[in-house]
Amino acid sequence: MNSSWPAEIGAIFMKEVRSELRTRNALLSSGLFSLVAVVAIALASYGRQIDATVGAGLLWVTLLFAAIISLPRLFIGEEESGTGDLLRLMARPHAVFWGKTLFNCLQMVVTALVLSLLFLTLVGLTVSGVALYLVSLIGGCLALSFAVTLCGALVANAANRSALAAAVAVPLLLPLIAVGVGAVRASFETGPGGSAALSVIGLYAYAVLMAACGPYLYAAVWKE
Amino acid sequence: MTALKWLFALLIAAATAASFWAPPAKNFSDPELARIIFFHLPCAISTPLFLFFGSWLSFKYLRTRDMAWDVRAAAANEMGFILAVLTMVTGIMFSKFEWGAWWNWDPRQTSFLLVLLLYGAYFALRAAFSDERRAAANSGAYSVAAVIPAIFLIFVFPRLPQVVTLHPLTTITNRELDATYSTVLSTLFILILVLCVWVYRLNVRAGLISLQVQERHGNLEADRGHPANTGVVRPISLSDESRA
Repeated sequence: MNSSWPAEIGAIFMKEVRSELRTRNALLSSGLFSLVAVVAIALASYGRQIDATVGAGLLWVTLLFAAIISLPRLFIGEEESGTGDLLRLMARPHAVFWGKTLFNCLQMVVTALVLSLLFLTLVGLTVSGVALYLVSLIGGCLALSFAVTLCGALVANAANRSALAAAVAVPLLLPLIAVGVGAVRASFETGPGGSAALSVIGLYAYAVLMAACGPYLYAAVWKE
Repeated sequence: MTALKWLFALLIAAATAASFWAPPAKNFSDPELARIIFFHLPCAISTPLFLFFGSWLSFKYLRTRDMAWDVRAAAANEMGFILAVLTMVTGIMFSKFEWGAWWNWDPRQTSFLLVLLLYGAYFALRAAFSDERRAAANSGAYSVAAVIPAIFLIFVFPRLPQVVTLHPLTTITNRELDATYSTVLSTLFILILVLCVWVYRLNVRAGLISLQVQERHGNLEADRGHPANTGVVRPISLSDESRA
């Protein structure tokens, strides 16, 4: 309890990294889901060229479901394995939230990069503005991680938590998808422009707002 | 008080009758059937009011942990949910009469559907906990977090430059409606809002009484020597002597 914030956050983050390296559960599930989703999209659109709008929409929907499948597991897993109470004794709520969100961010960025590579290769879309594409993807991953981590924490003790995690997270994340599709579509079509800049600002603004309120809301439900 | 209730009922009846007698608006493809906006618009404006009020009450609960605030928050969100459903139903009817299809994927229609999903998730989360305090805290935190997407969906998304909407945007701000039409609309808006606040207060009163009964029941059980029925099973530790 007397350790500094960075040390405490780092300890939680390293705990998650070690457990993930031991089981490879989340990376395997989100990686496999990405592969299956992209193959399904490529098969469904066989022989047809997907345009930029549909491509951006499909990419974001796949990213959304990849996040919902793997990210809430962090808190739900703690409760299922009975280590949640120990964590409550050992760490401060803000440190737990930040540590788990950082790990979720890392996992989401890896998933998004693998998914993008598979999607662009198999679907046959070309990116005109690579920098815009990467910036919007990273902004989206940050916002997804904050929001889904919070939702995972909220449903961790609920009945039927796995199904509830998706039902609770999707309404919070749909505005993000609307903004993200605009940014990625612009990166497929023409590169940076007025509306693309607005969309990227929207993505990062959403991430910042979730980062600002997430830890406080998590702390409010922490010991209930 | 009874006289006030009768007066209010009379006002509602008069305003409803006036909504049929008002001259048809000019800017709609079917002006007679477009009268549904007399009820659609007040519901659409009142929904976010109750949504944000509910979030504020949830925030108050998270700060004070007083269950009375949770009762108020749940009542406000219930009222907001009913208004959102009414907005959707009247909006779908308006869409069919004026735009030719029940659902057009209009940005405002779609954003209201997402607001409805936010409310649905709030109530699903609330129902998923057997412990009332846990349900109050978790659903309260969700209600506060939902303010961010709700602001985006209601105020930002429909006004983005790349978004094209079928909804008339300047009809009210540019005073394009007939004076009688806008008077009836404003009167109905005030009356519907007053009615909603009245129902909300009744719901809160019922919730607070239920809370008091539960607390008293818990105290009575404790007086009789039985533990209060809290719905929570707490772990106990046994000393070495009792184990032996």
